[in-house]
Amino acid sequence: MSVAQINAYVAAMFEIASANDAVSVVEDDMFRLARAIESNEQLRAALNDTSLPADRRQKIVEQLLGGKAHNVTVQLVSLLVGTGHVSLLPQVADALVKRASSSKQMEVAEVRSAVALTDAQKTRLAEALGKAAGKPVNLKVVVDPSVIGGLVATIGDEVIDDTVRTRLDQVKARF
Amino acid sequence: MIFAALPAKVYDDPTQSLNWLMPKPGELIYGGLASLVIFYALYKFGWPAAKKALEARTAGIQKELDDSAAAQVQADADATNIRRALGDIASERIKLLAEADAQAATILAEGRARITAELADIEARAAGELLAARGRLGEELRAEISHLSGVATTEAVRAAMDDRTQQELVDNFIAKVGASR
Repeated sequence: MSVAQINAYVAAMFEIASANDAVSVVEDDMFRLARAIESNEQLRAALNDTSLPADRRQKIVEQLLGGKAHNVTVQLVSLLVGTGHVSLLPQVADALVKRASSSKQMEVAEVRSAVALTDAQKTRLAEALGKAAGKPVNLKVVVDPSVIGGLVATIGDEVIDDTVRTRLDQVKARF
Repeated sequence: MIFAALPAKVYDDPTQSLNWLMPKPGELIYGGLASLVIFYALYKFGWPAAKKALEARTAGIQKELDDSAAAQVQADADATNIRRALGDIASERIKLLAEADAQAATILAEGRARITAELADIEARAAGELLAARGRLGEELRAEISHLSGVATTEAVRAAMDDRTQQELVDNFIAKVGASR
């Protein structure tokens, strides 16, 4: 699958989400689903299993997202699963988030944390990262226990890492 | 003289013998002549044959003596040859034994030298492998200790990360990023 095809999917999804006035919700749903698929090997294998009929895989998606995601998100993901391109979902989701952020003159800030952040923390973090990036950020928080503690934020090519894991790695590297 | 000793009376009776031992003179004459004839015949005809037989026997005995002498000479020559051959065999044996001893000594010396060299080589290799293994084991041990200590440290830190600490780290991050620009 080429970048052009991914961009074609993203453009189509963005238009559909815009038409339903659900861009923010859809791109957030897609982002969370992409991270869930990346972190869950069993789910990834099930959705990529071409021996399963497409409608069976689409039902898995519907059961997974039912009630937790926007209808447009469910339909768009079902489209990817039905065409056998579910493996592209992480790239498509990331590109959709970037496209949605660009449309709002925002920068995507992906933050990984060992624990879930409160809304207040997210707000303060978004402000701080926006200040650091020089423009508003579309904050995407991923709960990743492997960081052990602290946060690591990625804004474009810039990485702000203040995690316990990185500090431990630095200490180990000295020995 | 014999006749003279006989008594004269005896001659008077022709039916009586003159002596119990001695024949009549006529018988002596005829007997003597007959004996001479016989002796002559023996000398004439028997002696050459006997002589010839004796000569033949002498020649046979001489031939046997000569043959024996020749056989003895041959035996002596054979004995000499055998003794010489025995001498040659003994000297050859000594020579062969000496050569065998020399070859054995050479092989032994070469074998000792080769084994000594191989032993030295094996010892050198073993020492090298021992050093390498010691170094490798040391490296592996250090890596394992480092890995285990890293895992232990990570787990200890993870166990120490209570919710309050997590929140403090998040807040510190936000404050640090917010203050950076």
